Amino acid sequence: MKISEINKLIISSLDSDADITKIKKEFEPVSRLFDFSGNFEDRIFDKLFSQKITPQIEFGRIISWAFPRIALTGVAAIILLLISIFLMEGSFSFNTILGLNESYDENLIISMLTGN
Amino acid sequence: MSIFYGMTKGRYGDADESDLIKAVIDGDKIAFGEIISRYRKMVARTVKGMLGDSVFAEDIGQEVFIKLFYSLADFRGESKLSTYIQKIAVNLTLNEIKRKKRFSSMFSQTGDEIKEYDIPVSDTEEMNEAKELVNKALKALNPKFRIIVTMRMLQGYSTKETAEILNLPLGTVLSRLSRAQEQLRSILDKL
Repeated sequence: MKISEINKLIISSLDSDADITKIKKEFEPVSRLFDFSGNFEDRIFDKLFSQKITPQIEFGRIISWAFPRIALTGVAAIILLLISIFLMEGSFSFNTILGLNESYDENLIISMLTGN
Repeated sequence: MSIFYGMTKGRYGDADESDLIKAVIDGDKIAFGEIISRYRKMVARTVKGMLGDSVFAEDIGQEVFIKLFYSLADFRGESKLSTYIQKIAVNLTLNEIKRKKRFSSMFSQTGDEIKEYDIPVSDTEEMNEAKELVNKALKALNPKFRIIVTMRMLQGYSTKETAEILNLPLGTVLSRLSRAQEQLRSILDKL
């Protein structure tokens, strides 16, 4: 079968009045290729009836569910914090982020020496 | 554990669907093994047609049967068991697509996309070509249309059956079929 014929078959299978029995027959060799691995049943039974595996799977699922949400929340919090620093202090310098923009170097040394 | 698979063939090979369900509800694991072996290929076509041949597809396939196991007691027999399983498979697959979409929008994944769609190699050159085309076409389709095409091409469902499984009005399925056809035409032209 030529590629053009296969293309035609794919397109015609989606006609609203297409013959379903014919489609089933024509695509059967391709659809046969879709299957799960050999130990599929065993893995289901393991998951259903083996207590050793279930908590690990559950933990993995919880982590994969929670991680993107926690990461996204963290990124949003950092952005909000940076915006609020910029609005309050008017700059993004390292000192501003550390809250030291209004301190002069001398003041810092004195405060470090005296503790005031 | 492969003992289950071997035992199903002899004991429940010709069993009626309702007898199998009753046996599973009564706690017969072998009956459930028979249900898995009867419907695994059907589920694989839906899940792998939508997600490609990936580890995720295997996991979703297993999840379908696990969910079925826990919900069989609620199955009233209003539809065929295959339709009920198909609905679970479609819902779980669509959820996985949504989850992956959300995840990849946060952390872009580019390399996995192509690998996911490697369907096992078939015997003949001709089949390889056909498989390759179906593969590429499904990959390029919008997921909304991909499910409709999978139901039609790989499962051989009628428009009515597709509408029932996807819980969509008949008109929506027909319009999606026509739009999928349009999209596929331009996809296949480029291949």
